[in-house]
Order: sequence, then structure tokens, then C-alpha cells
Amino acid sequence: MELIAKLGILADAAKYDASCASSGAPKRSSRGRDGLGATNGMGICHSYTPDGRCVSLLKVLLTNFCLYDCQYCVNRRTSNVPRARFTPEEVVRLTLDFYRRNCISGLFLSSGIIRSADYTMEQLIEVARLLREEHEFRGYIHLKTIPDADPLLIEQAGRLADRLSVNVELPTDESLKRLAPEKQGHTIRQAMGTIQRGQQAVAGEPRAPRFAPAGQSTQVIVGADETDDRTLLGNSESLYQGFGLKRVYYSAFSPIPDSPGSVPLAAPPLLREHRLYQADFLMRGYGYKAGELLSKAGNLDLDIDPKLAWALSNREVFPLDLNRAEPALLARIPGIGLRSVERLVALRRERRIRYDDLIQLRCVLDKARPFIVTSDYRPAQADLRSGLLRARLREPQAPVQMGLWG
Amino acid sequence: MIALDCDQQFSLWREQARALLGHGIDPADVTWAQGPMDDLLAVPAPLPEGPGPFRAKVPAALLAQLEQASRYCGEQRWNLLYEVLWRVAHGDRTAMLPGDRLGSELHRRIKQVSREAHHLHAFVRFVPLPAALAAQLQLDLVAYHQPAHDILESASGHFAERLGRQRWLIATDRDGIRFDGHTLDYRRHCPEPWRQWAQHADDPGADLWRTYYRHIFNPARLNPDAMRMHMPGRFWRHLPEGMLIPQLMGQARQGKQRDGQALEVAQQAGKRIGKARD
Repeated sequence: MELIAKLGILADAAKYDASCASSGAPKRSSRGRDGLGATNGMGICHSYTPDGRCVSLLKVLLTNFCLYDCQYCVNRRTSNVPRARFTPEEVVRLTLDFYRRNCISGLFLSSGIIRSADYTMEQLIEVARLLREEHEFRGYIHLKTIPDADPLLIEQAGRLADRLSVNVELPTDESLKRLAPEKQGHTIRQAMGTIQRGQQAVAGEPRAPRFAPAGQSTQVIVGADETDDRTLLGNSESLYQGFGLKRVYYSAFSPIPDSPGSVPLAAPPLLREHRLYQADFLMRGYGYKAGELLSKAGNLDLDIDPKLAWALSNREVFPLDLNRAEPALLARIPGIGLRSVERLVALRRERRIRYDDLIQLRCVLDKARPFIVTSDYRPAQADLRSGLLRARLREPQAPVQMGLWG
Repeated sequence: MIALDCDQQFSLWREQARALLGHGIDPADVTWAQGPMDDLLAVPAPLPEGPGPFRAKVPAALLAQLEQASRYCGEQRWNLLYEVLWRVAHGDRTAMLPGDRLGSELHRRIKQVSREAHHLHAFVRFVPLPAALAAQLQLDLVAYHQPAHDILESASGHFAERLGRQRWLIATDRDGIRFDGHTLDYRRHCPEPWRQWAQHADDPGADLWRTYYRHIFNPARLNPDAMRMHMPGRFWRHLPEGMLIPQLMGQARQGKQRDGQALEVAQQAGKRIGKARD
């Protein structure tokens, strides 16, 4: 099979992995040296596809032959899809060609499970080794880690790659048993533990060889099973705390061709996915706890964002005086982001904050107005009930997701 | 009214601004423009000579901010900088903070400029030249790009880091930059041959990239607004994948939205390689 035909099949097979980040790698440069590639911590999105997703890396499978039968996966062994397999040299050739053209910042390589977990992992490592050692490639490399692979192989991968990821895919052991019978929650967590120990071993040792310096991430599928957002966010929180994960990616389950009856054939729940990302960001960036964002079983509201939802159910905290409140509390005001908080704090060292300053800072005033006090403004609706406020602030629910499905 | 021309160069503007500030010239009494003045009532006056009596002290960070903002191409490009400088030099530091009306415009420009540098790093597409031509021109990769602001010189070092000893050039409709593997050669006016090489490079190899782009797209998640927000339409025509965008959106709307698979894969024969467990 020609390279271009393989590329079509193996890119098509890889699109369900949400991550395409190329950020967080240490500073590397090829200036005046043989080889190719640089990283500086910042990711670059080299293109966007019409689904609005960033293209930062060449994201392909080494092969979409697979022994497993995960129901949500287009590449499961019972799926009727065309199959292909790259040689490691072919992936290297594509990576270097696309990189030279400035189409990508690196490679994200994953694979179906062939022969055994160890054999598959060895193949992934071989690609990274060829790139790093034979071609002196200093761009970004993200390797998918096969949970059941030998810990020694995972360590080898960590020395070559900037990021490793083990996908959780399904958030509960019951769902894994039902939909991904060959996978086990505890081996997934073991692999995460191996990666974390590899990172801890070199932490604080600037001369030690790097180990997955851009950290580890995972992906969880949203909407393939019945798991609610509260469980998802609780899981993410324990992954961040327990394994020091950099990111949890949420992937709205998108219907697959030749779909088995065990998974839905509905449009992907994109808005739900969006709310989960917002809530996840509030946990990582703003210090919210999962339990604060969803205090009882169920899903995040779709019609308002999770920060506004928190503010509406904690009205006793507001209104906050922008000239006096602690920065950490300012960050909890809907419509005012971390960057604006920084700027407000800088500004209030010079003079009193006025309402007009928020306009200049391009804060989302429709959301912020009921929750703030400035030197020249107090909210008139301070005593307005949360229910009315919510009705006023909810986002119009366009039936976009129905599309052709209605 | 003093009318000045700094030839769109920050170093020149800085000299002029220093003299103006030293003589206490109010921002309302000076204008930078190219060519004849557009204010018909203004009577041109010359730049005062010598440094002037007023010794202004401004924070070092301000100069870096002004230089970055000076790369913004738009109305009042140089006048705005002088107004900020004037206010800060006279003790009003809010003029350089984003909360202030003037400061917020300054920071908006700085943000636009760094966004445009980021666009350069993201959307430049190099075309590899065939071996014989590469040897003849001493050039491995060429690209044509149209930045909205003057960022080519300050932002192109990035590619020397990425591409090692590769020799490359980027041409725009104004300026150009070339790297011979060791040093950068920036030209404020792009030499015509550079532009010709960059605009007319033949690229049979681009099909591999287009294939990748077509297949990594998930039609079940169609969201063109998000794409446009991050990748404005003005860049599409210089991207090899740009021509695919309308076609992929059309296909997605006409039925491919049902699942994630690309049409080209759906048309091929599939292969089941195992049975389901019962």
C-alpha cells in the first residue's frame, strides 16, 4: 500500500484522541546544529480543521490492527474498517517532512494493540528513538503508553518523549468491564504510577536525563456510557492529585461507523464536553474543588457556565468590592478572568477602581455586574433572587447540536 | 504643528520623540505621517534642535512596550506612542496600564502584534525546493506570507531555531528575510527574485499534508466558527490545506455529519480481524 493511502487510514483512525497539545516541553534549539526541531514551552497550533480543533502535531496510529474489542473504538477487532500499518521509518519520514514545511510541531503517536502490549510499546519507542537519535529531532514527541506494557519500556519511552499519556477512556470500572473487556482500571493506574515515579526520580535534578518533561495526560470519553459529570470531575480531581497529571482531556463520544449496539449513535454532546473543560480549568487554574462545582449527583448545567453557576449558588460571598477583596476571591467573580484580576490589582495600586476600568479591561460586564462593587458603582439588583438572575444570564440554547438529526 | 516622518522605523521615531519631549512639545502639536500632511489647516514647523531642557525619566519597561506596539500597522501608529510617552514622562503611569483608556489601546496593539507573530510561527508554510534548484539558489525552503503588522524581522528568529542548518527564506508583500544556515538577512524591501521564488514554487509533495488534514477532521463535530476564530480566512489562501476547507464543510453538512469517518475511508473495503466475545 502506498504511503499516502496508509496516511489516510491511520490519521482517520487517530482523530478520536482529543489531545494535540505541544506545550510544556523544555527549551531546545537546533540553531547552527545538525538535525531539526525546537521547543520553547509554548505550543503552536499550525492549522485548524473545520471542527474547530487545533492541528499541532502529526497525530497518527502506527497501526489500526487491534486485538482488543473496545466498543466505543472504531479500530476494535470486530469493526469493519480498512486496516493499515506504517513501518517506523515511514512515520519518521512523514514527521520530518511535515515539520520542515512548518505544518506541525511534532508527533503524537499511538497504536492499536498488535501481538502483545510489550511488542506494541517497543514499536512506538522505536519511532521515537529513530527520530531522536538517528535524525537528531528536537521537536515535540507525545507517545501513547500501553497500560499493560513492561514498566521498563515505559521508562524508555519517558526518556525519549516530551509527554506520555495513558487513556482512562471510561471513568468507572463497571463501564470498562462492559465496554472495554480487555482493559482494566488497575493496570491503567499502575502505568500512570510508573510514569509519575519516573518524573519524581529526576525532579530537582537539572543534570539528570529528562523524563517526559511535558508531563502526562489522559483522555476520558464523555457520553459513551451513563457516567455523570460529578463522577467525571471527581475522577479528574483524584488523577490530578494522585498522579500529578498535567491534563485530563474530555472527548465527547462521536458516533463511529459500523457502530455496535452497546454505544450511542447520537451526535456528540459537544456542549457538555465544553462545560467539562470549563469546570476542569476552574479546578486547575482557579483552585475550585470538584465538590464545589457539583455538590450533588448529576451533570453541569448546560445553559450557564460553571463559574456563574457557583456564584449564583453562593450569593452570600457577593457583591465583592474590587478595591478591597483578595485576588483569589476576585477570580471567582463571573466574567472576570485571571488576567483581568492581575490587571485590576496592578491598577488599584495606582488609584481606585472605577466601573469604566472594567470596560477598558474588556471584562464580561453582563455577567460581572450583579457581583461587584467599585468606587462609583453598586449593583442595583444586589437583592435580586438568584433564580431571576439566572434566567437573565442564561445562554440561549440554539438547537445546533441537533443539526441533521432532528 | 510639527510634521514628522520616521520612515516606519522605531529607532528614528525614538530620536524624534526624545527631542520633542526635551522641548516640552505637547502631543497635540505633533503628527507623524508619510507624504503630505492631511490636516489642511496645519502649518508645518520643524523639529526643534538639540536635546532640550526637560530631562524625562521613564521606566525601562515602557520602551520595550512602545517598541512592541510600534510594529502595529494602523491609524495613529506613531502619535499614540508619543502620547503614552508624554503622559508617563509627566508622572502619569496609568497611561501604560491596560485599565486606562490610552493604556488599553497600547496593550491592545501589543497583543495584536504578538498575536500576529504567533500567526507567523503557526501559518507560514515552507515549500521544499527540488535538489538541483536548491543547490543553484543556495536555498532549501521558501515561503510566502502576508502578516498584518511589521513582525517579520522580530519574529523570524524562531525558524532558525527550528530548522537547524536548513537554508530558508520568507517573502511578504513588503519585506523579506533569508537565512543561510548561519545568519539572518533581513530586507525592509523584499528583493523581487525572492518574492518570485516564494510565490511560484512548485509543490507536488503538498498532497501528503492535504491527505492528513482531510482525515484528521471529524465531520461529526463540524464547527466552522471556532476554526475561523483561531485561523482567520485571510491566511487560507497561502495554506496548502486552505482549498479543502469549503469542500470539507460542504461534505459534513451533506450527510457526513453522521459519524466521524472521512468519505475516502468509508468507501474502502473494511476488514474485521476477530470475533466479538459473547
